[in-house]
Amino acid sequence: MAGSALKRLMAEYKQMTLNPPEGIIAGPVNEENFFEWEALIMGPEGTCFEGGVFPARLTFPPDYPLGPPKMKFTCDLFHPNIYSDGRVCISILHAPGDDPMGYETSAERWSPVQSVEKILLSVVSMLAEPNDESAANVDAAKMWREERDKFEEIAEKHVKKSLGL
Amino acid sequence: MAEEFVFDPNKNYDDATMAQLQKMEKEIAENQKLISDRVSFDSLSEEYAKEDEIYRTKIQQDLKNRYKCVRKTRGDGNCFFRAFGFACLENLSNDKSQLQRFLEVAKQSKSELVSLGFPEFTIEDFHETFMDVLTKVENDCTLEELLETFNDQGLSDYIVVYLRLIVSGYLQKESDFYSSFLEGDRTMKEFCNQEVEPMGKESDHIHIIALTSSLGVPVRVEYLDRAGTSTCNHHDFPEDSTPVITLLYRPGHYDILYS
Repeated sequence: MAGSALKRLMAEYKQMTLNPPEGIIAGPVNEENFFEWEALIMGPEGTCFEGGVFPARLTFPPDYPLGPPKMKFTCDLFHPNIYSDGRVCISILHAPGDDPMGYETSAERWSPVQSVEKILLSVVSMLAEPNDESAANVDAAKMWREERDKFEEIAEKHVKKSLGL
Repeated sequence: MAEEFVFDPNKNYDDATMAQLQKMEKEIAENQKLISDRVSFDSLSEEYAKEDEIYRTKIQQDLKNRYKCVRKTRGDGNCFFRAFGFACLENLSNDKSQLQRFLEVAKQSKSELVSLGFPEFTIEDFHETFMDVLTKVENDCTLEELLETFNDQGLSDYIVVYLRLIVSGYLQKESDFYSSFLEGDRTMKEFCNQEVEPMGKESDHIHIIALTSSLGVPVRVEYLDRAGTSTCNHHDFPEDSTPVITLLYRPGHYDILYS
């Protein structure tokens, strides 16, 4: 069904170009391969990530949208729900049953009617409100909980780095 | 004693778990078609040990007397939807007046989903595949072709997704009534996002009531379980309807029955 996946990804790209959500840019890395996208995500206002522009990669499976893509930040980002290698770990990237973190039952899950846009909007909310109940980066979760100043300092460093400063 | 587990922070355990799950799914896939040919009840009782008398008695002395044969489906969490979908289209191919009514309902369903807030680009491919299969039936495709379509993983899954969307749409539209059946404090939208729309989520009574009501295709379910009766109990969805399809339920699984 790679043909169906391609059709859907092209429709999503068109949608993202015509109605881009605020603070998000995303599209295929090159027009030859629609299964590999790059996204730029602006750090949400009023948070310690404000002002940053964080690049990420999305990799889509051949049966997309039956299965979800994988997402990985390609910059330094110290956050409870991002592994140290950049992989993003939030509930919408997992179907129910595929549950590495034991997400709470009310968390939004992957299904074929989700979309790249929905994922990226969830990632923006995740930056604004880390979920330290299901941490991918335990050190970041601990620091976010116990030493918020130190956490924000690191975040600011990564914001500057993301801008090439 | 089992090998002692040493956590390796550089290893991706999620991927390892997923790989193992995928391997198991592949093994199941190789052993069972998505929708099988019609098989006899003897092949059904072969699945049970000689000692498993309750099941064997109910199959040999009850089901075998009341039904002719069975079509097995793959146990992948989508079996209710796939069994219903196939049985429904097989039935419509022999009933052209019902087919016209069904085509209208199916056509309408997309705009209903859009009006409920589903972005059109997320549902149109599934709707299109569903309508294409219905058109095949309208154009008198053979039973073999229908069976082929339902055993093509891609097409078959797209049909299942669309049936799931029909259930989601119906439950959200009728949420005033159906919300009272939900356990916990989930909203109907959350329930649909977590229990209806994702592939592989098993169906409960609420899914069956929603699908049969919204499509106007009543179903009888025969229950083959360990209950200490000599015959199977059955239930019709919606209640007091005249079923046009019969499914066989064994705990966690649905197959299709033929009389």
